[in-house]
Amino acid sequence: MLEVHHLTVRFSGLTAVDDLSFSVQRGEVFTLMGPNGAGKTTAFNAIGGFIPATQGSVAFKGKPISGLRPAQIAALGIRRTFQNNGILREMSVLENVLTGLELDTPSSFWGCVTGWPASTRAERNATARARAMLDKMGIADLAERPAGDLSFGQQRLVEIARAMVAGAELIMLDEPAVGLSPGDRLHLGQSLRELAAEGVAILLVEHVQDLVMAVSDQVLVLNYGKKIAQCSPEEVRNNKDVLEVYLGHA
Amino acid sequence: MDKSLPASTGPASRGPRVRYILVIILAALLALPPMVNDYQLFVANTMLVYCLVAVGLNMVLGYLGQLAFASAAFFGIGAYVAGLSMVHLGLGSLPAILAAAVCGGLAGALVGLPALRVRGYYLAIITLAFGELMRWLYVHADGVTFGSGGFNMPGIALFGSELSGTGKYYLFLAVVVIGVGASALLLHSRYGRAFVAVRNNEAAADSLGIAVNRTKIIAFAWSGLITALAGALYAILNGRVSPDTFGISQMLMHFVIVMIGGLGSLAGSVIGAVLLTGLPELLRNFPGLEEIVFSLLLIVVLFFMPKGVGGFLSSRLPWMRERLYREGRGNA
Repeated sequence: MLEVHHLTVRFSGLTAVDDLSFSVQRGEVFTLMGPNGAGKTTAFNAIGGFIPATQGSVAFKGKPISGLRPAQIAALGIRRTFQNNGILREMSVLENVLTGLELDTPSSFWGCVTGWPASTRAERNATARARAMLDKMGIADLAERPAGDLSFGQQRLVEIARAMVAGAELIMLDEPAVGLSPGDRLHLGQSLRELAAEGVAILLVEHVQDLVMAVSDQVLVLNYGKKIAQCSPEEVRNNKDVLEVYLGHA
Repeated sequence: MDKSLPASTGPASRGPRVRYILVIILAALLALPPMVNDYQLFVANTMLVYCLVAVGLNMVLGYLGQLAFASAAFFGIGAYVAGLSMVHLGLGSLPAILAAAVCGGLAGALVGLPALRVRGYYLAIITLAFGELMRWLYVHADGVTFGSGGFNMPGIALFGSELSGTGKYYLFLAVVVIGVGASALLLHSRYGRAFVAVRNNEAAADSLGIAVNRTKIIAFAWSGLITALAGALYAILNGRVSPDTFGISQMLMHFVIVMIGGLGSLAGSVIGAVLLTGLPELLRNFPGLEEIVFSLLLIVVLFFMPKGVGGFLSSRLPWMRERLYREGRGNA
């Protein structure tokens, strides 16, 4: 579904991502791991259209998406969350999730300003879908709360709900477990496995080992922008290159 | 999950009460003309005009979060287009008002273009310059605009009969109800959410499929349309259009109305317009004190209600909290 070929991102003299290639299949949870500064988020941003790739290409469902704007990439069925919290603080939780349905709410401008029944119906349907997603994430009771008032962990859940609500085919989650309690992490892991079972491809950047081991089908480990391992979670535990990077010895 | 904080009493629980209050206010407005004299009716009409102005400016300044000051320019465009289309083209009142709205919308879209590249103080200067450019045009294109002296509006007729003061009031009320109502519907739709999403976090909005540039242009165009509608009504109300009306002091008036009412608050826009147009009239009975009392009042309101009167009421009365409320201040 997602094909990354020889992706390279350079900032002046620094190579943040170096000749990275991998693919994510439908229904797969694919995790990018690595120490701080390994290039995980840079790779994420290049795939999502937020920064240009210096070399290489990215394709989604066989179509090249390199060079497209983030909104164009979102329209193809790819959604993402942000490492440093992409929550819309001044909106309610429900409104945050509704923005995730921007492309799925077929209400025209003039339909909206005139209160045209078709537009009103589209808005009502979108609201019902957003509420159902909040329910699925276990945060339905927060629907009317200003998102900026929530704890960091709750905000992460709202952001994930927003990414998932539109029925995206590929969801990219940048460190979604940061700030979550162990219980919420467990719940997040279950939600991700459910999504994968529904055929959604998930590209995850994560540090939290228990979540990575519980949900991932494949793990790719980066160090200084280079791929040092790509294998199953069980194998990555015993990979000597990975152990060396994380522990300093094999 | 932390559920120690109470679920808010937000929009879901406020609907019926707000609807009752709106119906009562509308009924009171409909019943107003027989109870007031001509001067008071003129003041009421002025309040209606500035309600639209505040809603139009708040669309860009409050909801979209762009420091843009083209409101007086849109106001002038509305007044000139309505007036000149009646004088030169012989249009009736309603077509002239519609023409003003269309031209205001187009001007808004045009002014929105720089907002795609610049923001903050730079955008503020560019939009202020646009206002001054329009004033220069009104003065120097005197073959069409009658120059610095301005021009008198022809008599205002609707469906063949000339409008009295009461007739104008009902026309204004209808236009304002439609303008504010349509703005409320827009803000409560995906377009309004897109405005606030762009204000809050452009990168996140982009990743959700919100076309950031298009969203900015739409907000500016709607702001221009609504403010130009107000300009058309202003020209009709005063019976005269001249370039000196649409300068910096007019812009400052619009800005103060929105700041007092509350950035990103529709109710605040209306309250700000009523307060800022009504209070000077009340204070007219205290010559010499008018400016002092008015200035002190502004300072006190902004000091104790930094989110404006609308924000203050929202914090005290949860059922008044609007769907797309504005948390902070000054980050336009």
